[in-house]
Amino acid sequence: MERTGWNRQLRYAPYLYISPYFILFGIFSLYPIIYSFYLSLTEWNGSRDKLFVGLDNYAALLRDHYFWLSLWNSVVIFLMYVPLMLFLGLIFASMLNSNWMVGKGFFRMALFVPNFVSVVAVSFVFVLLFNTQDGLINTFLMNLGWIKNPLPWLDSPWWARFSVASMVLYRWLGYNMLLLMTGLQSIPKDLYEAAYVDGATKVKSFFLITIPLVKKMLLFCTVLSTIGTFSLFTEPYILTKGGPLNSTLTPVLMLYNESFQNFNFGYASSIAVCFFILMMTVSLIQMRLFDEK
Amino acid sequence: MQNKRGKMLLSGLFAASMLLSACSGSNSQNASGSGGTQQGGGEKVKLVVWIWEQAKAGIDLNMDRFKEAYPNIDVEFQTMKSTDLYQKYLVSSNTDDAVPDVLALESTNLSQMVQINSLLDITDRVAPYKDKIVPYKWKDATMDDKVYAMPWDSGPVVMFYRNDLFEKAGLPTDPDEVASKLKTWNDYYEAAKLVKEKTGAFMYGDSKTNSSNRVFESMMWQRGLWYFDENGKVAVDSPEVKEIADYLIKMQKEGLVYDARANTDPWGNAISQGQIATVVGGSWHDATIEKQYSPQDSGKWSVTTMPKWSADDQYGGANQGGSNLAINKNSKHPDEAWKFIEFMLGNEESQTKMMLEAGLFPSLTTVYTTSAMDKQFDYFKGQPVLKTYAKSLESTYPLAYTSDFPMANKLMTDVWAKVFLNNASSEDALKAMADELRQKTKRE
Repeated sequence: MERTGWNRQLRYAPYLYISPYFILFGIFSLYPIIYSFYLSLTEWNGSRDKLFVGLDNYAALLRDHYFWLSLWNSVVIFLMYVPLMLFLGLIFASMLNSNWMVGKGFFRMALFVPNFVSVVAVSFVFVLLFNTQDGLINTFLMNLGWIKNPLPWLDSPWWARFSVASMVLYRWLGYNMLLLMTGLQSIPKDLYEAAYVDGATKVKSFFLITIPLVKKMLLFCTVLSTIGTFSLFTEPYILTKGGPLNSTLTPVLMLYNESFQNFNFGYASSIAVCFFILMMTVSLIQMRLFDEK
Repeated sequence: MQNKRGKMLLSGLFAASMLLSACSGSNSQNASGSGGTQQGGGEKVKLVVWIWEQAKAGIDLNMDRFKEAYPNIDVEFQTMKSTDLYQKYLVSSNTDDAVPDVLALESTNLSQMVQINSLLDITDRVAPYKDKIVPYKWKDATMDDKVYAMPWDSGPVVMFYRNDLFEKAGLPTDPDEVASKLKTWNDYYEAAKLVKEKTGAFMYGDSKTNSSNRVFESMMWQRGLWYFDENGKVAVDSPEVKEIADYLIKMQKEGLVYDARANTDPWGNAISQGQIATVVGGSWHDATIEKQYSPQDSGKWSVTTMPKWSADDQYGGANQGGSNLAINKNSKHPDEAWKFIEFMLGNEESQTKMMLEAGLFPSLTTVYTTSAMDKQFDYFKGQPVLKTYAKSLESTYPLAYTSDFPMANKLMTDVWAKVFLNNASSEDALKAMADELRQKTKRE
């Protein structure tokens, strides 16, 4: 009798111990996701009667040029900062990982600080910097005589995307650098020594040893940045409200507009579902592309 | 059999929970001593009010008197930005939440909030005030002949102008003379050219690509035009609206407008540096100019009525902004909530205080005949500016914002951006916007 009781405990105890996560996941993640999927099949303005419309929201979404524009904007913004960010991140990481660098602690912190400063506060600072009329950047450039007329940093589509991209770059460079640094630390030092003995230059070993060996980490950073770019919200919301001409509209910003400004919760949910499917597909493709085989 | 037992079990549970909630209800009532209907029994009711800072400042002026009159009603204010307020309320009303009891709502968003069906019907309660409030304020508060909010302040649109800049440009500075000299928007355009030429200053401030559309909307309003017509059809592609748009585009293209969104910091900086000669906007701009952006310029600003489209137009005024108070449908204390609203908004003394000290110009017309209206404002060269506001209200076209206003306003910003960035013609841009509005709002 006693033995079976003990056995039963052995069998069930682990599940009991890990259950809190699954219970919380169920309540706070799984249920909302399923509910959101259900909402995407209805037309609902927030008050109580939901109208079941089947796949109408999805049909409308695929015909909605704003949705495609928001994806296009995300791609443009992604291309504007991700390659540069990963390249700079890797260079900084290598520098901070090398023996000759002084003040490592200081630089590590200095590069990482932007990431944990409140994004809202940073956005407001960027508004002050980028402001066309009396922003710091325009004033500076004009005083130097580099430009004659103020640049419309937030008032023209391409500059606005550029401004958003540069703000994201500023915030996430340190974070990616940190990730890449962990990748660098797992590379055995003797590889470099062997290369040195064989007469390879520093630059050559960077491209032929460092980059191939942190490929996995680069992939991880790229996947995170892709998801991050498509779900940008605070930066474009505060800098430009998604404008001008919706040039900085992202899928998540569009979701917000549809739900909390236009009260189209069904439609907004269909954006969420499509966004989820899209992000999963893109991540899978990226992983396949970077696969060793 | 199984099924039946399940049902019985369920209904049993339901009954039990009803009982429980009933018990806990009465318990908490006894414990916290909140007796809804008991008056003067020494039992207190707590009202939760959701509101934004600026509006709360007005209410605060009257709180001492309110506490004296209703010692049994405690009021807790929860302040937040108005946009946050709408979102939070939407969520809480969906979960049958009894908090807040009272909420402040801007007229621009009121109709949208009425449509979601979560405000208390106060038709009977507001009945005595039906004729005492500026008529157009009721429209956004009403759905299917039922009223869901009590109008608070209204923002009659007037023209603030800089005396020193006008003088340099050779324009009159006396408010009446300015009103007759700048009678139409065409006169205003001519004056703008003079101001630019003689002083280098801009006539007003508005962004090309990020406009708040308030000047445009005021110009539509005074002519009885809107994004939608009386039947709710989309009307923004009408020739009259295009006329107004073309006028504003001309002003921008000739460099007479300071390119910054109204009520943002760059705009305010231009005001404090004396680069903007006029502000055509809601009466509450007096506080914005005096307290926020241009406190050092006392005596330099004056107020008069805004220009009309053509001199013989019947209406000259417009409305911009204004707010309302409403009661949550799920509130546990609707009677006390109404007492609070009535005390603040239906009472001349409270409204007068808010008008004189918080810059909230009331919709309650009985205030307009009181002596408070004669108050002279030092900042505005001793001018009795409230009379100008009342005059503007008198000649305001009875128009409502309607439920799809927030969406229309946002799309309109893109119309200007298309014109200024992509060189689109105003006609095409307005037509495209109208089509988009039709499709999105399912209006005709």
